[in-house]
Amino acid sequence: MSGPDGGVPHRRTGRRVEATAPLDLSGAGRATAEAVRFLRECQGHGLSVRWRAAGTPSYDPALLRHLPPPVELPADPGALEAWRTEHTHGVLYHRRGPDFVTVLDRRRRGTAVRLTLDHPGLLGTFLRLLEPTPVAVLDPVGREALALLTAERLVLACGGWAVTLPPRIRRWPVPCTAI
Amino acid sequence: MRVHLVTMPWHPLDLPSLQLGLLHRIVRRARPGDEVTEFHGSLRWAEFLLEHSGGRLTPGDCVEVGSDAIFHGLGDWVFSGALYDDPGWGTARLRDYAAGRGVPVGTALAMRPYAAGFVDACATEILAADPDVVGFTSTFMQNVPSLALARALKRRRPGLTVVFGGSNCDGPMGHALHRNHPFVDHVVRGEAEYAFPALLRHLAAGTDPVDVPGLCWWDGPVSRANTETRRTVAPADIPSPDYDQWQAALDASPVQEYLHPKLVVEGARGCWWGEKHHCTFCGLNGSAMAFRAKPGERLWTEIDRLVRRHRILDVVTVDNIIDMAYFRDFLPRVAASGWDLRLHYEVKSNLTPAQLRLLGDSGTVHIQPGIESLGSRVLDLMDKGVTGARNVRTLRECENHALTCSWNLLYGFPGERDDDYTPVIDQLPALVHLQPPSGAHRIQLERFSPHFTDPDLGFGKRRPAAMYQHVYDLPEDELADLVYLFDTEPAGIGGAVERRLREAVAAWRAGHADSRLLFEEDGAELLVHDRRHGRPPATHRFTGWQAAALRHLEDGRTVPALHRLLTAGGHEVPGEALETWVRRAVGRGLLFRDGATCVSLPTWGEPVRLPEGSG
Ligand code: SF4
Repeated sequence: MSGPDGGVPHRRTGRRVEATAPLDLSGAGRATAEAVRFLRECQGHGLSVRWRAAGTPSYDPALLRHLPPPVELPADPGALEAWRTEHTHGVLYHRRGPDFVTVLDRRRRGTAVRLTLDHPGLLGTFLRLLEPTPVAVLDPVGREALALLTAERLVLACGGWAVTLPPRIRRWPVPCTAI
Repeated sequence: MRVHLVTMPWHPLDLPSLQLGLLHRIVRRARPGDEVTEFHGSLRWAEFLLEHSGGRLTPGDCVEVGSDAIFHGLGDWVFSGALYDDPGWGTARLRDYAAGRGVPVGTALAMRPYAAGFVDACATEILAADPDVVGFTSTFMQNVPSLALARALKRRRPGLTVVFGGSNCDGPMGHALHRNHPFVDHVVRGEAEYAFPALLRHLAAGTDPVDVPGLCWWDGPVSRANTETRRTVAPADIPSPDYDQWQAALDASPVQEYLHPKLVVEGARGCWWGEKHHCTFCGLNGSAMAFRAKPGERLWTEIDRLVRRHRILDVVTVDNIIDMAYFRDFLPRVAASGWDLRLHYEVKSNLTPAQLRLLGDSGTVHIQPGIESLGSRVLDLMDKGVTGARNVRTLRECENHALTCSWNLLYGFPGERDDDYTPVIDQLPALVHLQPPSGAHRIQLERFSPHFTDPDLGFGKRRPAAMYQHVYDLPEDELADLVYLFDTEPAGIGGAVERRLREAVAAWRAGHADSRLLFEEDGAELLVHDRRHGRPPATHRFTGWQAAALRHLEDGRTVPALHRLLTAGGHEVPGEALETWVRRAVGRGLLFRDGATCVSLPTWGEPVRLPEGSG
């Protein structure tokens, strides 16, 4: 994938992307999962993105703080400032290996947790949920993995849909050792 | 036989020891019946400090003392007290040294009280494994920590055989280390692939190792040094490292949570440039200069194995210089893997944009291109084989391909003049959007470098670097053989020019984070957005021959060559007008001029830039 796609209408100029309609963060269903995927891909490709938020999250909104902040957050304007200050590049991302994925999670201040996902059920579900997926289609192994990934805050499951949160790092920052 | 392999502080905590990984394989290959165990002393030291200081001395402090302070010998000094059985040994000299140079030594001073206890604990742990042979590998500041432990081991078990090797033991250094430390039984000088198994054969048979090339051994009370060989190890005989015991030590270590472990691999030894043009300041051992590379396919197979085994995607290569064949038979394999690897490689600065792109695509995003200077005459003096313009171009391409570029600006070359620097210093503010050097550093005299071996090159007067006075309790003539760095009378620039250079580099570092100089194509127009520190924001618009000229100069050209290209492209430009335009573009900091060559400075890419160490 050379950039974001999916169901989110947007314009791209060079390394800048603009979502042309507000993104629904309510968590009511597919739209929120697609919005997360869109923002996650922008983040992973190191694109700067302009977008406006709509809807009041029915989940912990801090789950999205690793994604680029919106210009507008009508549901909770006070939280926007926190999102802007907390958001740094590479605070949560994943990398693909031969039969494993590593996740770096620095969302808790002062910590850097490295997770290696190599259990086939866990790995398979993590990768599958990169595409927004209805929870109902997951088999028992998938559901068990979903529970674990949700508990680790690596997946957003809401309104019957699930989507993986950590972007795959496609562009290293300079210096690449900073993350 | 039981062989115990040891790497002591200050081996970097986030890396396995390549040396131990290789020696492990070498012994197992030559002597399948032997038992090989490893002691990762650097990791142990970090654990020991963390525990005994109640969490005050952290792995980060080990980096400060053990890696950042290499030119001040702080890491060695921490252990000198243990080596000389005197907790206060060298402290007054260290304080004098540090005060005169503004070197912070608080952390080293805080560590010193733990060194003797740590050495004792290491000896207990190693002797519990009942080894016959203990082999130390020593590089940079591992000498004193290793000697301290070797002494403790021999004191407690005189029958044990202690062997030293590693780059601190090359040439005369190995012999000096041997003859001044009777508790070191043998020193392997040079590559160990053939010599170490040969020594073990002698030890097993109880015979004198008279025929092991380069080896130092005791003939009664006499320290013998066998003649070194010029024969180098063939790539096919260089094993792939075994990191299993390192992994086990790391998994069990409480410092693991502080570390971001990486793999270490070796594709090649020696230097293909240095074989013909030894850079005058470079202390790469002359006898090891012959360039030998593993085939790219084999290097990739090794990385594939290690990545799968250790589940680590960060890979550091130790090669002095990348094998150019790797652009055909190694990097494309890495790129095709589809894995998100992150590699570190030392390369030559004159890579093409296509080669730099391949580095980026393969995840080789951290490079060290040996830039050293931006002035062509100085680069000539050091026989570096690149020009200043070429180096600037490389820095610019690193932005275009989001490559992290580590480099130093070196000065102090005999024969350099103020006017080699003045035009460069004047233009440094224009480069503020490109990655700055780690600093401007006066070169030090390194053993084995052409500057060292040929006093006529300008460094006739030399003596062991002052820092060794607080590291070793040895007379100066012995130090002269033992050590790697030497003090000399300063050569080259000094005074006002030196000060200006250092200030300009400091300003570059300070102004870099928010500086951009970006090209943008807008229909027939070429825009340059100037958002560099120290200049008012501006957008310059170019059309016609001026736009074409800026594009042509991305490769770096002389004005006449540019003129020919423009004419061939159908642009009628009077030579004088072109000269004037170039002068103005240099004045606005859009071009860098190196002698007759000009190179465009705007970039097409804008990497995500983060402050160093923001992680
Ligand atoms: S400085 Fe680098 S390129 Fe020059 S001889 Fe040494 S290793 Fe080779």
